[in-house]
Amino acid sequence: MQLRYVFSELRQGLRRNLSMHIAVVLTLFVSLTLVGIGALLNMQANKTADHLGSQLEVIVWLCTPEDPSNNACTGEVTDPQKAQIEQAIEDSPEVEDYHYESKDVAFEKAKELYPDLDFEGDDAAMTAEDMPQSYWVTLKDPDEADGITSAVQGLDGVSFVGDVRDELEPVYTIIDVLKYGSWIAAGMLVLAALLLVANTIRLAALARRREIGIMRLVGASTLYITLPFLLEALVTAVFGVLLAAGALAAFVQFGIVDGLEDLIDFLPWIGWEEYFDALFGYLPPGIALLGPVLTLVPTLLLTRKYIKV
Amino acid sequence: MIRFEKVTKSYPGPGAPALDHVTVDVEKGEFVFLVGASGSGKSTALRLVLRETRPTQGRVYVAGKEINRLAGWKVPRLRRQIGTVFQDFRLLPNKTVAENVAFAQQVIGKSRSEIRRVVPETLDLVGLKDKSERLPDELSGGEQQRVAIARAYVNRPMILIADEPTGNLDPTSSVGIMSLLERINETGTTVLMATHDHGIVDQMRKRVVELDHGRVVRDEAKGAYGFQH
Repeated sequence: MQLRYVFSELRQGLRRNLSMHIAVVLTLFVSLTLVGIGALLNMQANKTADHLGSQLEVIVWLCTPEDPSNNACTGEVTDPQKAQIEQAIEDSPEVEDYHYESKDVAFEKAKELYPDLDFEGDDAAMTAEDMPQSYWVTLKDPDEADGITSAVQGLDGVSFVGDVRDELEPVYTIIDVLKYGSWIAAGMLVLAALLLVANTIRLAALARRREIGIMRLVGASTLYITLPFLLEALVTAVFGVLLAAGALAAFVQFGIVDGLEDLIDFLPWIGWEEYFDALFGYLPPGIALLGPVLTLVPTLLLTRKYIKV
Repeated sequence: MIRFEKVTKSYPGPGAPALDHVTVDVEKGEFVFLVGASGSGKSTALRLVLRETRPTQGRVYVAGKEINRLAGWKVPRLRRQIGTVFQDFRLLPNKTVAENVAFAQQVIGKSRSEIRRVVPETLDLVGLKDKSERLPDELSGGEQQRVAIARAYVNRPMILIADEPTGNLDPTSSVGIMSLLERINETGTTVLMATHDHGIVDQMRKRVVELDHGRVVRDEAKGAYGFQH
């Protein structure tokens, strides 16, 4: 096959319809960026859930004297109360494992968590004696925590039962809102991109209808006739993908690596590995796959319609 | 080379069929005029040969292939054996004469060396060797039609289809075009030409197939255009 003609047609086609092609590239760029951000946020949500799922899920905080969280606490939890609580935990079928944390351990953790506070001397912010004792319960299934929660809640000596995930609920909500928001916006832009591609092809087919008519008559193959169209679609897709890849790289670098990762360091954050997944993954498809598909599929369908052999 | 067997072609909607049980057999190397009033079915017959459309009933054979059964992807291969010339020339205005002719070779993947050899040869045949670098706008109607014929013939097709090739030309140019078609016919190419031009048909004394309302009303060797027109 003589490709010289195909490439000169491609060059002409790109020039002739430049404004249309730029519109397609920009729409693709923004929509693919949003798809990519949605994918990255999804991976972030999964990563966070995995991280927390592999951790202790339920924490049973025990009463301290003058407990601020529970008025029913009459004083420091007693040993018989603790035995009863341990029994309840052991009896629960949802529990994989559990361990006890003393006041001293809790105090050390608090010191780590709030390095700026003063923990020494007479006017220390808190002492080991202020800290509650606790049981850290690992679940068999991180989603099944209702049984153990209700089994220990209300027992004497229990201040309250905390689920690590509850405390992170707002984080999840934010991620979800961003994720679905970007996907909805991306969906509409993808639709716009498809319509633009369709229009571009219609214009291009119209501009080249003489050539196409002659090519059909002298017996050029369908592939040969559609090749310039397909290449045009591919070129716009490549530009769209490149721009989106750049924008996503900026998002990962400035938004996550330099931003959130420093700000919130108790969570694992996505990084370049996930970036490459969002780019080159095939299930769900990465944007490097999605971009060409978005332009090539309508091109194939429409050239079939406009250039019927 | 071309055979219509009881071919009927109806288009959607009311009205009589465009072709009604047409049976015609064109041998290899024949020169056939297809005559008849507008709407008599001439264009439909040509479109069937090119497999631009398919018969509603009956069979059409072109170069040994039954076009009704021909798979879509084989159609380009069929058309490479057919050259086509139209009343309105259909040249590419931004390409030179030589480029217009070469285009027909490029798009079916002929090599550059073959194009360089065959295009001048073909332009010589149609008498436009010295105008190969002109644009179509700079040529007369007759010359433009010669370019179109060169383009149709450059791939040395077995069949040449001409749809009113002299329809836009003055009588002198028409004679030139006809003698060119005759020369091409003499190389063994089957020529099927639809026309309204009485003078040409009467003068050439070739086989004439006349259509009227989609039916063959006359098929005679060495015929004239007819008396009723």
